[in-house]
Amino acid sequence: MRKYWRAYQISIQETLQRRSSLLMDRVGGLAVMLSLYYFWKTLLSGRPSFLGYSYSQMLTYIFGMNILRSFALTGRGWELVGEISSGKISSYLVRPLNYHGYALSLDLSKKTIHLFAALIEVGALLMLFHPPFYLPQSALSGLAFLAALVLASLLFFFLEFLVSSLAFWTSESGGPLFFFELCVQFAAGAFFPLDVLPRLIQKGLSFSPFPYLVFLPINIYLGRVGEGQMLRDLLMAGLWTAVFAAISLVVWRKGLASYSAEGG
Amino acid sequence: MKKYLRVWWKMSSMSLMAQISHPLGSVGFLLGKIVRIAFFFAFIIAIFGHIKNLAGYSLSETALFFLTFNIVDISAQILFRGIYSARRAVSEGDFDFYLIQPCSALFRLSMTTFDFLDAITLLPVLVMTGQILERFSSPGFFVHCLLYFFLTFNAVLIASSFHILVAGLAVRTQELENTIWIYRDIMFMGRFPSDVYGPLFQLFLTFVLPIAVMTSFPVRAFLGLLSPQWIAYAFTLAGLLFGLSLWFWKTSVRQYTSSSS
Repeated sequence: MRKYWRAYQISIQETLQRRSSLLMDRVGGLAVMLSLYYFWKTLLSGRPSFLGYSYSQMLTYIFGMNILRSFALTGRGWELVGEISSGKISSYLVRPLNYHGYALSLDLSKKTIHLFAALIEVGALLMLFHPPFYLPQSALSGLAFLAALVLASLLFFFLEFLVSSLAFWTSESGGPLFFFELCVQFAAGAFFPLDVLPRLIQKGLSFSPFPYLVFLPINIYLGRVGEGQMLRDLLMAGLWTAVFAAISLVVWRKGLASYSAEGG
Repeated sequence: MKKYLRVWWKMSSMSLMAQISHPLGSVGFLLGKIVRIAFFFAFIIAIFGHIKNLAGYSLSETALFFLTFNIVDISAQILFRGIYSARRAVSEGDFDFYLIQPCSALFRLSMTTFDFLDAITLLPVLVMTGQILERFSSPGFFVHCLLYFFLTFNAVLIASSFHILVAGLAVRTQELENTIWIYRDIMFMGRFPSDVYGPLFQLFLTFVLPIAVMTSFPVRAFLGLLSPQWIAYAFTLAGLLFGLSLWFWKTSVRQYTSSSS
């Protein structure tokens, strides 16, 4: 366990050293948050609510979205693709560590930094614009939100790991990863609440793991999910995570079996 | 001119062959680009299922703002895709070879990669824009269309200026590879009409980071909502920015001492 903790610490230092990359990521997130904040603010001006979201709930959704994008939807997919394609992964495979555990440590370090940055950004906007901010109405909602956040983060980790593992079989896995990342952002509700979409699309998405990444955690926080439904949602999120963890492990093993590298 | 067309043709054919030789990757990127536009479009249409207007604009008008943003954004990417790898070209020494070739180094750097995937993505956007423009047949339609066309071209010129400035920075510093992505990220704000943003923020998007001039002005001019003074401002700004970016590029190249070979 200690070696993973060390990997986590070193990765934090590395991420903080590459400040321009971090700044770029944050500017992107901030631009999205500001745009959508103003968009919904304008849309809700003169309306008490929209699709059951009150003014404060909708603006809190936007702020929550920035936090969820930074924590749950931040990953190392492109790094993993690069490591497999370039053969760099060989150096990890001969080390006495489990690659999934190692990748999870690095993933968590990236998420930690982005979470702090997102909290600072949201805090700054709250101080600057004084928008109404919705707080959870019960301790249960708050706790369930934290559980949903952890599950969302793990689910995205395994989903991204699965898609990135394509790099074992093709040097063109960047395209599918790009497509996956864009689809996830929309289907997870990381740009707008999924309630906005037509019922048929909502129904289709409810059979996929994507709403458990952003949309459901925020809806739990906003108290828009009843206690029974909340428990069912958390169980489903856990189930999806377990399913994709198993699939990604199987695919990883198959990938390693077909992997070969030359040179050093 | 003929020489440049020949260089462009050669570079473009090589880019096309490279993209065809990676079908899975190319299809993934193309689908990603199309999905991004389709989802936002679906979002706008879905929103208008519940409201009549957004900041005073109808569905067609809001869609036109979104499509104009895409025209400007994608056109700049088609023209300047090579700038995205400018830092690598400088640090790996490729830029030294561009300098000794008998054509503009900026042109050579920009045209290193011609992204056919962007060109394919642009086609449906142009078709949809044409269909929406057709719906607004009113007196002065032709003049408004011309204004829309020239102001969109003007917006591409501003976007080009930003790309040239970034290329100049890459030549000067060999470090600022992320600058272009910061520009792309900030451009996200151009997806919606600038009227959505508060008055203070609108001023910022008009005078400091002229995203409003690039994505909202063409549509507002088409709808007859832009005064001649603002139209003059847009053209003057583009001219000044383009001049400044070329000057910056030239001085950057003049100070360049080669960082690799």
